[in-house]
Amino acid sequence: MREISLQANPGQIVGIIGPNGAGKTTLFNCFAGLYHPTRGQIEFLDSPVVPEFSEAMVKRVRRYAFFFLALGLIWLPLFWSFFLPGALFKLELVLLGVFILVIRCLLIRGLLRLQIWAWGLMFVFLLSDLCFAAWWLTHPFSPASLVGARIPVGYIAWPWGFVAGPFSIYLMIQLWVRRVRQLYGFRLRPDAICRLGMARTFQNIRLFFNLSVLDNVKIGCHAQMRTGLSGALLRTRVQREEEAATESEALEHLRFVGLEKRAFDLAGTLAYGEQRRLEIARALASRPRLLLLDEPAAGMNARESSRLIQLVLRIREKGITVLVIEHDMRVMMNLADHIYVLDYGRLIAEGTPDDVRSNPKVIEAYLGGGAAHAEA
Amino acid sequence: MGFRQLGHNPRLLFFGLLLLAVLLPWLPLGSSTNYILRILTTAVLYMVLALGLNIVPGFTGLLDLGYVGFYGIGAYTSGLLAIHYDLSLWVILPLAALNGALWGTLLGAPTLRLTGDYFAIVTFGFSELVVLVLRNELWLTRGPMGLPGISPPSIFGHPLARDWEFFYLILLLLIIVLLVVTRLQDSRIGRAWFAIREDEIAAQCCGVNLIRYKVTAFAISASIGAMGGAFYAKWFKFIHPDMFKFWESILILCLIVFGGMGSIAGTMLGALILIPLSEVLRAVLPQGLFSARYLIYGLVLVLMMRWRPEGLIPFEGAQARKARLARERLNL
Repeated sequence: MREISLQANPGQIVGIIGPNGAGKTTLFNCFAGLYHPTRGQIEFLDSPVVPEFSEAMVKRVRRYAFFFLALGLIWLPLFWSFFLPGALFKLELVLLGVFILVIRCLLIRGLLRLQIWAWGLMFVFLLSDLCFAAWWLTHPFSPASLVGARIPVGYIAWPWGFVAGPFSIYLMIQLWVRRVRQLYGFRLRPDAICRLGMARTFQNIRLFFNLSVLDNVKIGCHAQMRTGLSGALLRTRVQREEEAATESEALEHLRFVGLEKRAFDLAGTLAYGEQRRLEIARALASRPRLLLLDEPAAGMNARESSRLIQLVLRIREKGITVLVIEHDMRVMMNLADHIYVLDYGRLIAEGTPDDVRSNPKVIEAYLGGGAAHAEA
Repeated sequence: MGFRQLGHNPRLLFFGLLLLAVLLPWLPLGSSTNYILRILTTAVLYMVLALGLNIVPGFTGLLDLGYVGFYGIGAYTSGLLAIHYDLSLWVILPLAALNGALWGTLLGAPTLRLTGDYFAIVTFGFSELVVLVLRNELWLTRGPMGLPGISPPSIFGHPLARDWEFFYLILLLLIIVLLVVTRLQDSRIGRAWFAIREDEIAAQCCGVNLIRYKVTAFAISASIGAMGGAFYAKWFKFIHPDMFKFWESILILCLIVFGGMGSIAGTMLGALILIPLSEVLRAVLPQGLFSARYLIYGLVLVLMMRWRPEGLIPFEGAQARKARLARERLNL
């Protein structure tokens, strides 16, 4: 995909159309955080879902990782022989050291994705680096063992202390600052995006088929709930109230899409159109600001799809912005306020439904070059 | 109330069975009472273990072949604490559970990104690693000499020695574990686990943090396994690395598959049938065929897979029943 730039204003229904293989679903997957675009930027409610990458910073972090590996391989045997005389010859201890080193390097690589726990551990490691650097700088020549006395420790210790120390401080400060997302290219995971208020449905239905309809919607409420492990184990009052509230809210959503009669059936037993509506209910349960619908009317007959149009219009009345991918032009023309047309991963046209309908580029993309000429 | 109705009310059935179990030591069974009690203690212990394992493959949908590793860790934690520090069982059980959870988290956090078979291989490797460490770290575990002389648990200064006392103890443990598992199943956490099992991508798009919930499942499963191990060490008073071999993992997995993956009642039923079956076969088979009992064991599993591949009490059935109860509750 390339050169796509689209914008959805609050309270609008925005349509995306295009022939098969135009990259519509790929675009949705990028929005939802399932795919990572190699370049570009996605913003949602002022927070970057996919930030603009700072290539230089990524390179710097990677270089630091390799530097660390090389330095560590020198430092490790020295450290052991210096502080724990004889330890060098204990295979297990050396293996442990190598293991720790590898973990650290992996963690530094993990910086590129900055998982929170890796972040915390990284901080501890950097702190320990700093301590060791300080130790080497203050006690470079105090050989505690024969090996330590024979190897000119200082020559290696000094550069180590000078390079690793300041660089550790630098990285720590960098990690600490709030702009860390932009600096390191921190992508949001799909669940974080959902918590921000973006929910989606899938082109090929992805329900939890072996669970009841109600449970499906309750899982949709997951992001809104707070109970943790202790709450669930102790069945605290807060947890019970939250469960009850969730249940009534889930039933409310089911009523909204007209499925409350089937709330206690297994999701797998629903008819196709009902499954589509259940997916919408599940997406609504996370109280989204933006709803992504991926071909909601696929495989529906005329009556079902007109019901669907009513449903989507009612969703807009709730103040939720809707982004729809759809093949069925009739549905799209009735529904969308603004339409973007994609072809082969490019944006070829945009505008109101009427604009798009009469755009020759769109007709060409759908019917092939010859048809457009014939019509002209 | 007829038997069929009983089947529709699992709670009543469970309390009935529990009452039967509590009364069991006092039934006039003659000289075989202690023998039966010992077999049933084993069966209930395996129920606890199976309930713990069930969280990972049953609820979360990840194949875990290394469960016995946590069982072993729990047993050795309990044994070593009992021998070196002479702690009471009520201190040891939580400590063993914590140790299990620690190792579960340490193993799970980096490896739970793997999917399907790869994860199974890693857990398998872990359990082998545990056995190797138990066997080779002589300074800690005495290796192949085993760990004898573990003091029996005591309650209010009264050391447990009789079979019915241990039976009651494991029943208590079962009830605690059952409470934990059912409460988790019906909570936000349990639903997140089910969602991960059904469809990881959809779960993620519903706001479920995959890694966090997978690690939670793994840690809780590991801590229940470790608690089972802790009881086992205190009960048997002797532990040996060979008791925690890979075969045990497979056996516990068989119990779950036999009873119904993901269903709590099925898991317990599986353990209650399969574990005593081995003893029954030992008694029934003639001397010459005695060693063929595992053959029959296998045959039962094969037949099971042919006629009821979802297990005795399948998960979907349990879900449907739960839904029916909820519908009645809400009068819909």
